[in-house]
Amino acid sequence: MTQPALQVKDLKTQFFTDDGVVQAVDGVSFDLHPGETLGIVGESGCGKSVTALSILRLVQEPGRIVNGQILFRGDDIVTMSDEEVREIRGKDIAMIFQDPLSSLNPVLTVGFQIEEAIEAHRKVPSKMALSRAVELLKQVRIPAAESRVHDYPHQFSGGMRQRAMIAMGLANSPSILIADEPTTALDVTVQAQILELLRDLNQDLNTAIILITHNMGVVASLCTRVLVMYAGRVVEEGPVERIFKEPQHPYTWSLLQSIPRLDSDRHDRLLSIEGFPPDLIRPPHGCRFNPRCQFKIDRCLHDDPPLMNVGPDQDAACWVTMRRALAPNGERRG
Amino acid sequence: MAERTPLLRAEKVVKHFPAGLGASVKAVENVSLEIYPGETVGLVGESGCGKSTLGRLITQLLPVTSGNIFFDGVDLTKLRGEKLRQYRRQLQMIFQDPYSSLNPRMTVGDIIAEPLENFGLLRGRAKDQRVQELLKIVGLNPYFNNRYPHEFSGGQRQRIGIARALALRPKLIVADEPISALDVSIQAQIINLMEDLQHEFQLTYLFIAHDLSVVRHISDRVMVMYLGKIVEVADSIEIYRNPRHPYTKALLSAIPIPDPEIQSKRRIVALAGEIPSPVNPPSGCRFHTRCPIAQLPTPCADQEPPLEQKARDHRAACFFSEKVPVAV
Repeated sequence: MTQPALQVKDLKTQFFTDDGVVQAVDGVSFDLHPGETLGIVGESGCGKSVTALSILRLVQEPGRIVNGQILFRGDDIVTMSDEEVREIRGKDIAMIFQDPLSSLNPVLTVGFQIEEAIEAHRKVPSKMALSRAVELLKQVRIPAAESRVHDYPHQFSGGMRQRAMIAMGLANSPSILIADEPTTALDVTVQAQILELLRDLNQDLNTAIILITHNMGVVASLCTRVLVMYAGRVVEEGPVERIFKEPQHPYTWSLLQSIPRLDSDRHDRLLSIEGFPPDLIRPPHGCRFNPRCQFKIDRCLHDDPPLMNVGPDQDAACWVTMRRALAPNGERRG
Repeated sequence: MAERTPLLRAEKVVKHFPAGLGASVKAVENVSLEIYPGETVGLVGESGCGKSTLGRLITQLLPVTSGNIFFDGVDLTKLRGEKLRQYRRQLQMIFQDPYSSLNPRMTVGDIIAEPLENFGLLRGRAKDQRVQELLKIVGLNPYFNNRYPHEFSGGQRQRIGIARALALRPKLIVADEPISALDVSIQAQIINLMEDLQHEFQLTYLFIAHDLSVVRHISDRVMVMYLGKIVEVADSIEIYRNPRHPYTKALLSAIPIPDPEIQSKRRIVALAGEIPSPVNPPSGCRFHTRCPIAQLPTPCADQEPPLEQKARDHRAACFFSEKVPVAV
């Protein structure tokens, strides 16, 4: 068993707003192994992006990490000084964001911004920084990298900007790359190219990837393991094949049933999850999914389920689980 | 299908936008299409392909540069003023962004009542009753009429937008990316609602989206657009099983299927390069610069392939449509 590249333990990140305390991330734990591709899926407001930002201590006021540990090479990122975090940020753990246009500085050339990322962590002669920037742009398959390195972001297309962001993320050969909805703003054909690029980088450089997305299809094409988040919690976790084939949490199951699939010939009604995600200032009692769950039992209303083992390497936070919910002979209690 | 008269027919519709220095963006180029009563036609393509512009031309929110749009046999492009306004009742639109498409200073009741007032249809209690009825139809509490848009979630706002579109009992609704701003679990609610409403009120939809899996689910027929042109039209199951245009094929293969086992076996038809500029589109077939099966320079770069019948109810604009590989 290899040592995890990153361990998140009971992470709680809260936002102290005028209306009350938003429990955005509420007790999230997971391990990321070297070279692994981990998907974190969930809807807006489920805490997936805040989890990612917490790992790099990028959560902004009024948000704060109030509990938990984030262990990287044995050190806890939560308790590090700002200087120590800055050492890791962009060097060992890099992050790319959804919207490449607003993450790039419009008045600086793409090359300058990549060089900046390199020079933030190493003293290198500017000639070398430039040639490294060109090399990185080639690696992310920007055509004519030698000349495009001097372009400004607006001269790049959306897909090229995201490639440039990835190049910047890779500048210091990080062991972990966190990609927050990297393809959401892109067209499908460009999305396919970016996913292929991330897959190759993972295989060639052995960079571990945390992919944050709401798109189940994107997870299926890139990740080996998945965390499903709902209302600030991990509700299910496991290998990608298990999660897609035998999801045990009703939320995961419903989510998979609610998306129209290109490969199904049936024109059936989609399953819809009634209601909408809860207010995280006053989350529901018991299981947070219970107001929307069609399989709930009495226990779900007051007793909050922890993550429990439900299959090989698979955990779900549910008292019922889909195995029992779909069992024909009324094995369900309650 | 051949005997039926289309509800809407577009003939050689062109839309150019001025782009300065005498240049123009050729957003929609020579598009002809028919939409039959009661059907849902999906219109897909990537950003910048002209699909939203085409939707706006059809609803008369934008004037055509040339071409004709017949609705119930009447050429809308020839109508002006009050005559055109009366036709607008029949053509309504649902927008992508449920935030910017609702006036934040108006109550939900006023938003839904506005079309009724514009056409002087109902007043006083009758109007209020109709608003409450519309709220109920789209699955909202009828007593929400005094609330403001900011009090609602994205999915609820989209329902308000749908109620507004239904207020005038239109025949055709153009829905421009109606679910792409919504969360996954909410998307299914809105798709199901739109399907229910279609049956209840005999609506005809033009459903514009970039997500081919959603479009395929809701549509009877699908049209694929590339750089201002329709490149393929077919029945929604047929287009997936048997795409006849290499662009459709590439688009289909790029959509990830939420199943890791199937996904790992699929081959993605990677397209070379980027979408060319619509200011200066490529000669001949507009797709030839990125096409994996193009024969250059003749005929693909110097002749334009017509949108022609390739099979029953299946048209594609490609010289080599028989060479397009079959689905996954």
